[in-house]
Amino acid sequence: MIDDLGIKDAFASITGQALLQAVLVIVIASLIMVAVQKVLPRVAEKLGGKPRLYLLASVPLLRLLIILATIVIVVPILVKPSFENMVAIFGALALALGFAFKDYANSLIAGIVTLYEMPYRPGDWIEVDGQYGEVRAIGTRAAEIVTPDDTVVIIPHNKLWDSLIANGNDGTDNLMCVADFHLEANHDVSRVRELLRDVAFTSPRTKTWQPVLVIVFNKPWGMHYRLKAYPFDPKEQFQFISELTARGSAELARQGVRFVSVPVSVS
Amino acid sequence: MKDKTNENKADPCLPGGLMPAEQWALPQTSVRRSLKDAIGHAFKQLQAGVSQAEEPFESMDELPELSASQQNRLAPEPDYSDQATAIACGLERARTEGSLSREVAFLVAPPFSGVQQALARFPEPGQSGSIESGGEEWAIILPPDTLSFDDHEANEWWDRQDLSRPWVIPELADFWLRRLSGLSLVKELFRRIANGDTGAGIVGCSSWCWRYWGHYLENAQMSPWTPGPMDAERLGAWFTYLASGSGKSTVIARMTGDGYYVLPLAETDENEKDKDSKKRKYSNFLRDLAATSRGNPGVALAIWQRSLRARPDDDTKLEDADEKTEKQSQTADCWVVPLERLSLPTMPQSKESVTGFVLHGLLLHNGLDMASLEVVTGVSTYELSLVLSRLKRAELVVWEQSDERWRVTPIGYPTVRRHLQSWGFPVDQF
Repeated sequence: MIDDLGIKDAFASITGQALLQAVLVIVIASLIMVAVQKVLPRVAEKLGGKPRLYLLASVPLLRLLIILATIVIVVPILVKPSFENMVAIFGALALALGFAFKDYANSLIAGIVTLYEMPYRPGDWIEVDGQYGEVRAIGTRAAEIVTPDDTVVIIPHNKLWDSLIANGNDGTDNLMCVADFHLEANHDVSRVRELLRDVAFTSPRTKTWQPVLVIVFNKPWGMHYRLKAYPFDPKEQFQFISELTARGSAELARQGVRFVSVPVSVS
Repeated sequence: MKDKTNENKADPCLPGGLMPAEQWALPQTSVRRSLKDAIGHAFKQLQAGVSQAEEPFESMDELPELSASQQNRLAPEPDYSDQATAIACGLERARTEGSLSREVAFLVAPPFSGVQQALARFPEPGQSGSIESGGEEWAIILPPDTLSFDDHEANEWWDRQDLSRPWVIPELADFWLRRLSGLSLVKELFRRIANGDTGAGIVGCSSWCWRYWGHYLENAQMSPWTPGPMDAERLGAWFTYLASGSGKSTVIARMTGDGYYVLPLAETDENEKDKDSKKRKYSNFLRDLAATSRGNPGVALAIWQRSLRARPDDDTKLEDADEKTEKQSQTADCWVVPLERLSLPTMPQSKESVTGFVLHGLLLHNGLDMASLEVVTGVSTYELSLVLSRLKRAELVVWEQSDERWRVTPIGYPTVRRHLQSWGFPVDQF
């Protein structure tokens, strides 16, 4: 089988010295990759704001460049880069991956697609299969997200093919937060909308140049208000929603507007 | 773009004149300087916490700083009464030319630009402000002691103010607090102005406060005016004006490193047609200073004051010049430390959000006392004390005894603005 594919011929010219050189290049490339993956996120944490997002997003791109550069350097060291040799090597590789590491290869390819399509980047807040968190790192096979409860969830890139991926900030530092208020009916709706808007505008966490919206729905059990605003930093989202909810509730109570304690289900 | 600029060359205390706020543009600087600033800012953020400098300012040269009297003579604080006159003339001119047609003029300016202080002196007798008001004296509207009002109370408060004759609000930021019950006064004022319920008036407003209310009242189009930005030429003219007093004496300022001239300006020298002056080399200091201060005169003056030095052998000469009468004092030499050798305040490493809330709150409200700061930021008094003491040590904020408020310092303002921007807080347009 190996003879048929010409693998034996392709690797016939490999010497011990060439092998050593190739290993050395791979080790150096791995060290650079590790350094990039460790150092840049730490630097990004110190910078904060937009520079943080840009720097985090550059990590997977740099890793891809290093991988490509390593392949370009290593292959000519090991084999003569003729057309026949290339077909032989990549053909054998494709067979091995196709049979033995189908899912792994699937994730690797999806990983390359994520670098190109960028459905998520480090620093993004995403939800995949019910898991919500900040993308901490994008590896070759999988992405790591950290949930608000400080749990790391590994998401294989092949989820890209068949799962819905919700991205809250999509590479920017604008992440909309929503605070819900379920109120009894029979109150001045426009007054409550105005009041909730003021609640958002008087929060020190609000990004005032982004829209502040108050949406209201009439439900069988009362009125459902949704206060939508942007915090100055996506990391502040939970503090922000908590603050809006607490201050909004306190002010509504002061105005005599009552909350619905248990929604009534209607058949 | 410049045609609408109400530039008033005859008013050296307001060299940029007045212009519509949307025409304001950042003074230009070299690409090298911009890159250097950006890299320096990133480096300082990375460095935060690594070097714990207790003393924010460190002189990086051997030269002695100017004594208080020398500084008072070479780089004194401006006379805001003159600035008030210049503003009144500028507004009058804008009305005559037809570029300002509203009854109520809004003057928006970044902190430390001196507009608030000038407007507070508006009605002083004998000033040409009376031209603007048609001969009547201006009434200054001062904020109430407490700023918590509901809509009805705010309505009643404004009813008690006499807005029928010409009136001035020196600083709108003093009329509100960022809390639910602290918005009513400003909302009611904007409603009255939009309805045309007031007489002629001038509202001074900090650019940070204006930005906030521009977002809050998204449909309010008040077409504010602003002092023109201080570029190198205007800064040079203004510093010369401040130092010369009557305008008769000349100030010579040279760089400590290479001896290049900062003052007098190249143009002034050429006018003198002095053969020696044509051979002089001029420094880019003022251009860099204009960019660093973003054209803000108060910030530029603070950095200028800090950069001035006296040579040890010039001490006697300067002291002598100090003692001379105005007529005798024709020339005074001083030396200028390059900007890159000046150690300006840096942001201490701390919890970003709390530091940001405090600094942003202070800028939004033109300074606050501790109780109001607690209300506005939601940070406890205990934590506020810790943060404020750190910021005070870093020379970024100062406690002002006169009105018992914490304020951002002019020398720390560029650092504060830059950090707030990089942390994601809403910043002003200037």
